[in-house]
Amino acid sequence: MELKERLAAYFDGNADYFNVDIRLLQYQVQMIGLDSLVDLPQSIASLQTQTSNLDHASLQPAALLNILGKLVEPKLEAIVPDIMKGNLILFEPKSGTCSSVLPIPKNVTRSVTSPETENTLYGASSAFQEDVDTNIGILRKQCSGASMQVETYKVGKHHPRSLFLIYQEDRVDSRLLRSVQAKIKEGQDQEVHHIQQLGNMLGMNPWSFLPSFNMTELPQNAAHSLQQGKIVCMIDRYPFAIILPSHIMDMFRLKDDYNYALPFMYLIRLLRIIGALIATIIPGLYVALVSVNPEVLRLQLALSIANSRQDVPYPAFVETLLLLIVLELILEASVRLPKSVGPTITMVGGIILGQAAVSAKLVSNLLIIVLAGTTIASSTVVGFQNSVTLRVFKYVLIILSAIYGMLGLLAGIVVVCAYLGHQTSMGVPYLSLPAFNKKDERNG
Amino acid sequence: MNKSEMNNPHMDSPAKPCKAIKLILLLVAAVPLLAGCWDNKDINHRSLPVIMGISLTEENQYKVYLDIPATNETSSVSIVSETGDTINEIIDDISMNMETQVDLLHLKIVIADKRIARRGMEDIISAFNRSRDISAKTLFAISDQPLDQFFSEMQAKSEQSGSIIYDYFEKNAGWNPQLADTRVWQLFRSIHSYTHDVIVPIIRSGVSTSIECTGSAIIKNGRMTGQIGTDETLVANAFYGKSAFGKIEVMDSATVQITSNRLTHQSWLKDGKPYLRSHLRLKVTILDSRGHPTEAQINEKLEELLTLRLNKLFRKTQKEQADILALGQYFRKHLTREQLQEWRSGYYPNLDFKLSVTTVIENRGNLKNL
Repeated sequence: MELKERLAAYFDGNADYFNVDIRLLQYQVQMIGLDSLVDLPQSIASLQTQTSNLDHASLQPAALLNILGKLVEPKLEAIVPDIMKGNLILFEPKSGTCSSVLPIPKNVTRSVTSPETENTLYGASSAFQEDVDTNIGILRKQCSGASMQVETYKVGKHHPRSLFLIYQEDRVDSRLLRSVQAKIKEGQDQEVHHIQQLGNMLGMNPWSFLPSFNMTELPQNAAHSLQQGKIVCMIDRYPFAIILPSHIMDMFRLKDDYNYALPFMYLIRLLRIIGALIATIIPGLYVALVSVNPEVLRLQLALSIANSRQDVPYPAFVETLLLLIVLELILEASVRLPKSVGPTITMVGGIILGQAAVSAKLVSNLLIIVLAGTTIASSTVVGFQNSVTLRVFKYVLIILSAIYGMLGLLAGIVVVCAYLGHQTSMGVPYLSLPAFNKKDERNG
Repeated sequence: MNKSEMNNPHMDSPAKPCKAIKLILLLVAAVPLLAGCWDNKDINHRSLPVIMGISLTEENQYKVYLDIPATNETSSVSIVSETGDTINEIIDDISMNMETQVDLLHLKIVIADKRIARRGMEDIISAFNRSRDISAKTLFAISDQPLDQFFSEMQAKSEQSGSIIYDYFEKNAGWNPQLADTRVWQLFRSIHSYTHDVIVPIIRSGVSTSIECTGSAIIKNGRMTGQIGTDETLVANAFYGKSAFGKIEVMDSATVQITSNRLTHQSWLKDGKPYLRSHLRLKVTILDSRGHPTEAQINEKLEELLTLRLNKLFRKTQKEQADILALGQYFRKHLTREQLQEWRSGYYPNLDFKLSVTTVIENRGNLKNL
């Protein structure tokens, strides 16, 4: 009786806590659990069906409870985590035995849906949006080989979460695996609620401009990374697979590309590379050409640019920054806003603002073209986190171009390349090319 | 990252941004000290003259004309002029009096008055090379008529486009192989080289077309010494290898187009007298023919005509001691540097130069018979 009271006191503030008495065979048993996670009537019915077939006389309470679930110590500390997980506790007061039973759960997850943040063309369109068990199930279906390993860790002191480490034993680089495992074990006390905390735990540089992880919603991408020898991390209630380590080529490669004919696959990847270059270089090039080195332009082009910049009051640098910031605002707003309001922002931003800014002579026609091209190009790379990276590098080049013109632009490109070369992800250089995944027969 | 840092990610993250911010502040503070171009002028605050005309006034001062294509819809071109003692001073004066800065980086053509060309242009060419804002690739031309008249007629004609003269000399627009194509750097080279002279196109405003070419000037040491016609310019261009494609050659009986050319030379020195044998191979296409000449006849006439023209050109330049075909280049290995100094006066007039021309008719212009 003492346990019941202590449990009641512990769950005092939880309205969904229940403790009901039921009869199983000849014993009076207490059923303890959380209403929000356990479907009580169905669970009772299921338990009673199970017990009705058992032999009445000979069964001791401990043996009965052992059949139904797993015996646990009848102590508060042992029981509470089980209850929190959504298990059902059966307690037989007379003998003092206690068991944790897997109940019929309340359905709190949806069925598998299509991806929200990544679109696929010619690819499977299920997504990791569910609870972690479903996600791993989806991944197992994609990656049906025997060598897939799923390790689980409990991380965090106050709000423990399960962190899953998934890899293919025969493909993963054992050094990489050992270092990730060691880091997770070392930092098991840290809370991991978001990617920054995960990065902290794995010892990533929090001030890096490059994505320390590749996140994907698409099971086929995750499976492909596993095949390349990468490690996939999954956190409970986080609807993305986190792929370690991340590489430059992750910006340009997608598993679904293999569903195209080979020449188109390479052309599409080339297009993404060109897109990344355009997105970072073009705004800087505009500033450099218009304000510092117009002699590089052909005469006719120079005249038409000069014509379109007539009466624009600001220098090219300010003009470009002005419009770029407006564009970033539009982008951020359309991400934040509900889907019903998003189109309004696009329309106001695109038609009204763009046209008005030109006719008000705040910016030149050419700049509108340049920035539209930039924005479109920066979204051609794979993964939103990569396009954010490109958006940042663009500003470095603009500033250097505004000061030193073409020379500055070139120096800026060198600086960006040096920065990329300096970065590593879990000890693997960011710029390392497919040599890393040489175990994959397709090499990429 | 060492082990202690890894254990305390929350301890080290505040320290890092602080360091980074300090570094960034330091870099930003250093920017004004660097030689950045804070005096940048946007493209719409610059005047981009395409053509510069240079003539001499009665007081022996330079008069510089700038042809500036307008960047607004109302007018197409404006021509400004100023007189002064040096070209850079004049440009500075013009810049001072204009609402935009004169930026010579886009200057494509320099047109000099014939008077200046005859007097010598060494000063002008060195001035161009000293002031680094004029490209060494700028074309050079000589005007047959007073520049005042030339530019006013140009302005009257350029209603739509401000860059007629530019297009006229542009290789992918109006240029023809009958036109000499000489850049400022080549003029500079001709002044300072012992064996290399140049030809410069002579233009005037035309009657029905905007510009007319009346031939080329022979420039020796930066001074105009003589004049050759357009036909001879064409041969000279063929000799340089410039006219290779799209060339038309007129004869009594046929017109042919040069499709490719190749030159071989043989040079030797005997008793201090230079000998040069050159062989020009031309591949031609027949464009039209009058009557029914045979291929052999056309070949013979063409070879005769070209040899004659080139020999005439050669003798003219030999007389004026201006080596526009750069024949001296073939004696660089035979002569010492001291001897090369004498090339124009000592050796070139005695040069025994024989040119043989072979022409091959590649096709008859898609017709079966001539």
